[in-house]
Amino acid sequence: MIDRQIPQERLELLWVLAYGAALVFTLRLVNLQVLNASHYREIAEKNRTQVIAQAAPRGRIFSSDEVALATSKPSFSLIYFPSQERTGPEIDRMARAIARPLGADYEDLRKAIYKSTSREKPVRLAENLPSNIMLSLSELKAVYPGIDIIVEARRYYPFGAYLSHLIGYIGKMDARDWASRSKDKDYSMDSRLGKAGLEKMYERELKGKDGGIYLEVDSRGKLNRVLESRKWTPGADIFLTINSKAQAAAEEGLEKSISGKGAVVALDPRDGKVLAFVSMPDYDPNMFVLSGSEKEGLPAGKTLPEFNVALQGSYPPGSIFKIITAAALLESGRVPPQDTVRCPGYYDAGSRIFKCWDKKGHGPVDFINGLAKSCDVYFYVTGQRAGALTIEKYARAFRLGKTSGIALPDEKSGNVFGPGPRAAKKSYWFIGDTLNLAIGQGETLMTPMQAAMMITAVANGGVFYRPYYVDRIVKSDGQLFYKGKSETLSRVELKDTTWTLIRDGLRSVVSEGTGQAAKIQGVEMFGKTGTAQNPQGKDHAWFVSYATVNNEPSKVAVAVLVEHGEHGASAAVPIARAVIEAILRPELDAAKAAAAAQKSTAAVVSPVPAAPAGPRLPAMPAVKEAL
Amino acid sequence: MIQASQSGLKKNRMDWALLLAVLVLITIGTIAVFSSVAVLPQQARIIRTQLIAIPFGLTAFLIAWSLNYQIYQDQWKYVYGVILLSLVAVLMFGVVDKGARSWFRLPFFSVQPSEFARIGLILVLANFLDKRIGKIRELQTVLGAFALCLPVFLLLIKQPDFSAILLTFPVVLIMLFAAGASVFHLGIIVGYAFISALFPILWTIITLNPELLDSALISYFFHLSDSWLSAGLFVLAVGAAAWGMWRVSVKFYANVTGIYFVGAAVVLMLGFFSGVMVKNQMKEYQQKRLEVFLSPEADPRGAGYNLLQARIAIGSGGILGRGVFSGTQSRLGFVPERHTDFILAVVGEELGFWGMMLVNGLYVLLIGRIMQGARLARDRFGYLVNCGIFGMFLVYFGMNFGMLLGLTPVAGVPLPLLSYGGSNLVATLAAIGIAQSVYARRYALT
Repeated sequence: MIDRQIPQERLELLWVLAYGAALVFTLRLVNLQVLNASHYREIAEKNRTQVIAQAAPRGRIFSSDEVALATSKPSFSLIYFPSQERTGPEIDRMARAIARPLGADYEDLRKAIYKSTSREKPVRLAENLPSNIMLSLSELKAVYPGIDIIVEARRYYPFGAYLSHLIGYIGKMDARDWASRSKDKDYSMDSRLGKAGLEKMYERELKGKDGGIYLEVDSRGKLNRVLESRKWTPGADIFLTINSKAQAAAEEGLEKSISGKGAVVALDPRDGKVLAFVSMPDYDPNMFVLSGSEKEGLPAGKTLPEFNVALQGSYPPGSIFKIITAAALLESGRVPPQDTVRCPGYYDAGSRIFKCWDKKGHGPVDFINGLAKSCDVYFYVTGQRAGALTIEKYARAFRLGKTSGIALPDEKSGNVFGPGPRAAKKSYWFIGDTLNLAIGQGETLMTPMQAAMMITAVANGGVFYRPYYVDRIVKSDGQLFYKGKSETLSRVELKDTTWTLIRDGLRSVVSEGTGQAAKIQGVEMFGKTGTAQNPQGKDHAWFVSYATVNNEPSKVAVAVLVEHGEHGASAAVPIARAVIEAILRPELDAAKAAAAAQKSTAAVVSPVPAAPAGPRLPAMPAVKEAL
Repeated sequence: MIQASQSGLKKNRMDWALLLAVLVLITIGTIAVFSSVAVLPQQARIIRTQLIAIPFGLTAFLIAWSLNYQIYQDQWKYVYGVILLSLVAVLMFGVVDKGARSWFRLPFFSVQPSEFARIGLILVLANFLDKRIGKIRELQTVLGAFALCLPVFLLLIKQPDFSAILLTFPVVLIMLFAAGASVFHLGIIVGYAFISALFPILWTIITLNPELLDSALISYFFHLSDSWLSAGLFVLAVGAAAWGMWRVSVKFYANVTGIYFVGAAVVLMLGFFSGVMVKNQMKEYQQKRLEVFLSPEADPRGAGYNLLQARIAIGSGGILGRGVFSGTQSRLGFVPERHTDFILAVVGEELGFWGMMLVNGLYVLLIGRIMQGARLARDRFGYLVNCGIFGMFLVYFGMNFGMLLGLTPVAGVPLPLLSYGGSNLVATLAAIGIAQSVYARRYALT
């Protein structure tokens, strides 16, 4: 080489530097583009997309006869997205134009639009638009690009307060809801969710999958194009075991009662289905659909009647407890049913006089009469013979002190009164306690649900089913997601003769005793009235009842409690009757029609227009039996 | 030469590998520029400029290639004069863009003379070092080289165009190093530059963490530059300390020459003064860039945000990229300066890992071929010129890649051949043409 006096090795050193740099860059690129590509891709996607979420219609809730109790109806929202570079005056003009048809405050709208523009986020300017306003707004849509009307599904309860304690309600998220769901991609800050009842318990199933309009935006939040309009998936429909007519009858009856407060629980004795479930006072869940919290939705000064009387109200059972006492008497073997007790209207317990509810007295009373007339003296005398421990034992067998296990929160278990709990409290048991226990006074407490469970057990021969109210859940694609099943909790084992005698007694309660108002033509009714003493005010009225048609297994048992209803006979009995009639009506009508048809075919020459209204309608199964 | 032809070496006049690398890089760059400006309002102007610049650049390349590079050595005074004149002229007649008066506005396009000045400076410096090669190991030569650069640097500061200085300074160092200058002397220069940079950095750190001012010593240090008195006292203290240490070393019979102490003190003092000067001259955006480099989280929406978005763009490209004209990060404007300094973000997003590796590899090839030219150069001047051009590309390559990948500070350095910029492209191609001229004439006498 030419004499250049230059050190070539220095060049090599620089060369190594270039190679080293390229190597470092390669390693860094592998890290960025190969190992972490998906991470960066995700961020890039988030950068460029904005979503206007569209709430999916919640699953509907139906009664067993497929009457929709909770549905969704389309609701139109006015949204604004910062689609173009807008100047102040333009926004002001737009806000003024929108404010007029909306009837909204111009300043509020303007602020909302400015905020949306500066934050580069779409905003809902108005929700739940009526159709006439929508028309004028859609005209404005053409003038001011950036505003748009989107359709969303909004919860709607067609019958208002109907079944409100079971269905519950939905509302906006509060801080606690958000804390537990912020990571859930199905929820956003302004989604609505179930707050009580079914809506809360089956939130996951009812929710569905929200749809959304996915927008591509640039770095300044300017709309570039609509990427995708994702359709929602509606939530699963829930079919309840509730009979809508029975429920309506129960609600109406309770509402029209003296106090308008109380509870009705109707169960199917064959499997524990809940046929009607009323707790009053109730509320209209529609109030909360649009509001953020319970307080916002309520009229000023009102509190939410969330207390569920049917499950949480504990009342002295009064005379309906005599069903349990009766079982104890007969099972003890110390009280022959034909034995009579003379009732002078009172009973002298030695230290104190215990009155019968009827001061005139019932005269000589046997078991059937005692139950039918609800004679207190009969139970005072026989109850002592059977013994307080026996009564307590049967009270427990009839599931006092235990919850029904229905899938609703905060159920109360009532209270068992007897020597056992007394001894546990290290206190004494007196004769007077036995007398009170026998007629259902004293410390015994029962919830309307427990009363319904008790009468259900009588109707089906001693089986306690767990009450359930969800018959099935059907996904939006028609797939059966869940099927309610009957579940036996326990049994009370009584002799057949005992059952027969109790049923005879309960039948005479309706036919000739305190519950005569419950009579329905063509139906064999069984029942027991009760009056729960209430030291704070007027007594509470009880009526428990079940019905059979043509000696078939009973299809309905009902417990009614009317707060401050005084006498079970006047206040509670008509409600129970209405409920039972509502459930059995289709069957009775069918039987009637069948009978009429038979008549008309039998006597073609002289057709009789209608079957004579008799106490016993000859129905098809009955004829079969006769044959 | 006879020997070479006898040994059967092919006497290629053109380095085809280099030319291929250049053309592929320009193609990638043009596609990326077109893709990134698709949504910009000044789209038409940028595309037009790019399309004008490419033929201009290729012409410049051909002219520089066909011209004997030795001409620059003969006419170095004119080269130097033209550089200085153009830089003075731009200060007088130029237009201001992005806070710097560095553009000549011509009817169809603008010209940035500092781009060409850099190449001219390499030629002038190569000549200087070639002449002084006998005294290359003397400090005077090193200082002389810098003295030659000083007018250019001062004119650039006046614009102000700090990134041009940031780019040129390492090139000068590389040329001196390649010429065989004493590493110790270069160390002094680097030390001086380091101290000049250190003071502003330290002051910025203190500004970022005001709680540090609670300490009296740091507080005193922070206010050093406020008055001449305290600054003078500091300088005196440094001088006294150096003198004291020299005396101590004499007392202990340590065989250390006094020049080291003097040199250290002088470097420290000069660095301090330059630091003060740099600090007071720094524009606000430059201050910001420094702050972002020192603590990237401080300003998420500022320069740190830009860098983060660029990194997201590169990362989201993955191995195969998102396809040309389909990068969301760059096309929707999340990546700033995407057609100039951050062009690699567009390449990374749209072409992916393989595209980045292609650019990376082509750059290494380009730098390697220029270095090969230096190695084979028939004279020392050619060698030095190619070393300078090599250094220029190395600095561009390192700083642009490094900035995007978060390894060096955000300095506003384009990537030649890829980034949009007419003057830069023409100047770059002219520089490659000169390097080619050296390569082509490796055996020739003329």
